[in-house]
Amino acid sequence: MVGTEYYVALSAILFAVGGVGVLTRRSAIMLFLSVELMLNAANLAMVAFARSWSASGTLTALNGQTAVFIVLAVAAAEVSVGLGILVAIFRNRVSTDVDELSEVRA
Amino acid sequence: MSFPGVLDIDWNVMAPAVSLLITAIVALVFGLSARDSRGPAAVALIGVLTAGIFAVAHLFSGNESAASFGLRYLGDVPATALTLVILLGTAMAILVSWDQLERGGMGQPEYYPLMLLSALGAVVMASAGDLITLILGLEIMSLPAYALSAWRTRDRQSEEAGMKYFLLGAFGSAMLIYGTALLYGASGSFVYGAVAAALQGGNLTLLATAGGALVLAGLGFKAALAPFHQWAPDVYTGAPTVVVTFMSVVIKVGAFAALLRIAATVFPALQPWLLTALAVIVALTLVVGNFTALMQRGLKRMLAYSSVAHAGYLGLALLAANHGGVAAAAFYLSVYALMNAGAFAVLTLVTDASDHGDDLERFAGLGRTRPGLAAAMAVFMLSLGGIPLLGGFTGKVLVFQATIDAGHVWLAVLGIATSVVALFYYFRVIAYMYFRESSHAPHTFRSTPARVAIAVALVGTVLLGILPGWWHTLLSVGPRFLAGY
Repeated sequence: MVGTEYYVALSAILFAVGGVGVLTRRSAIMLFLSVELMLNAANLAMVAFARSWSASGTLTALNGQTAVFIVLAVAAAEVSVGLGILVAIFRNRVSTDVDELSEVRA
Repeated sequence: MSFPGVLDIDWNVMAPAVSLLITAIVALVFGLSARDSRGPAAVALIGVLTAGIFAVAHLFSGNESAASFGLRYLGDVPATALTLVILLGTAMAILVSWDQLERGGMGQPEYYPLMLLSALGAVVMASAGDLITLILGLEIMSLPAYALSAWRTRDRQSEEAGMKYFLLGAFGSAMLIYGTALLYGASGSFVYGAVAAALQGGNLTLLATAGGALVLAGLGFKAALAPFHQWAPDVYTGAPTVVVTFMSVVIKVGAFAALLRIAATVFPALQPWLLTALAVIVALTLVVGNFTALMQRGLKRMLAYSSVAHAGYLGLALLAANHGGVAAAAFYLSVYALMNAGAFAVLTLVTDASDHGDDLERFAGLGRTRPGLAAAMAVFMLSLGGIPLLGGFTGKVLVFQATIDAGHVWLAVLGIATSVVALFYYFRVIAYMYFRESSHAPHTFRSTPARVAIAVALVGTVLLGILPGWWHTLLSVGPRFLAGY
């Protein structure tokens, strides 16, 4: 059986990759994908922890596994709102480059 | 297999949230056939008042240990009192939007349902007793707020505000969710009290500390604590002013309600350097918020940085969460909701239909052309600056006292010093209103509902300044907040 720490390390790497993506990518679509990566890293960590906690009771493990479904739903809702705003922006500008979003100034 | 406590539902605790949800659905369906946006506004206002009646009834029922879903949704005094503050802020935002939506051509029927859903999310955050409920509340609050920020269709600034808010908000909530996963790994539970109890032993502290830090950062984005505040000025400037009236109050209350509960339960069990990090964040927020506000010409942007500064004062109360900080912060949030929503309400009447013209120059001569409006604005500015006999002063005194009791004397000194700086930019608005000649056409837009909102804010700000005792005593039922979780 693969140890929990390997799963957690992988999820930390995924989370970091997502975080770096959010901070460096310029296309809004890539930013969405990076955020998705961060959320799925959290899902992976929760499933791994749920397995490691299963020794201390089914309920403890179920808590983590149920949370994954909630986070999946959250991620889907988030992307639908984000894409909605993106479509509105794209209609006006024909670009998804977030660096061009710099009109609001003092 | 049994699920202890998960399915017990106390409807007295759930009633405010359920009323908001039902009203949001009714307003949405009703909005499809309504002539303009005032019908749905009335429905929304009735829903908020109903939720408020349920919350008041529960607050005075004395049933402080009531909870639903096995301590995952709490109905204690801080939760119910902050629910009331959220409902108050929502009601004021509805009144301010009443005429303004039609004037600005923003009267799509989904506006009020989204606002109610966002308020529902804030209520859930304030009542959350575990991290998953908190995440759900945060998302229910945030997703409608992203859409509302971009409400002015075909306005590039409003769209930009919505996108920036969405991207940084999603980044923040990803941090919160990952932090939650790590805390679950370290403790085996999501319920605050169980997390704190499991961490007291000192096992897996790296995992727990990283989790706590990520939760703090994630909520820091929502609360606009520096260095996570960068979205706030641009979103406040670009979003419609009526939406900012709502966001600057309700989202701040929701975020701080959640932070307070976590600061009182989970943080003390984590390594002390996390509290040091929070102290640094708070100090940075106080300095950045106040000094940057000093340099702004646009009033919306100035109020955005001022709201960052107020997040700093509320952050002081977080550090003192177990030394009276909870009651102090709840009191501060009550006053902040009144005076900040009041200031934005005045702003909506002074700026033009497309929200442009929030420059200080536009306030020149307001004392002569619109004396009532100018007097109300002056009171809000004095209260935000912390002048005695107004609510803002009482809130600051309570927060500084709690900070000193908790042993953070240098932070209290910094807080007092930055309050003096803050006086400059608040007084500048008053100086413009009364001592500058007007060089532009007088403001003619009038709105009775907005006037009602300003009057409520005015009465509340003054009342909490001269008679602060009753509300603070009510909020001081602190120990319940910590016991048993």
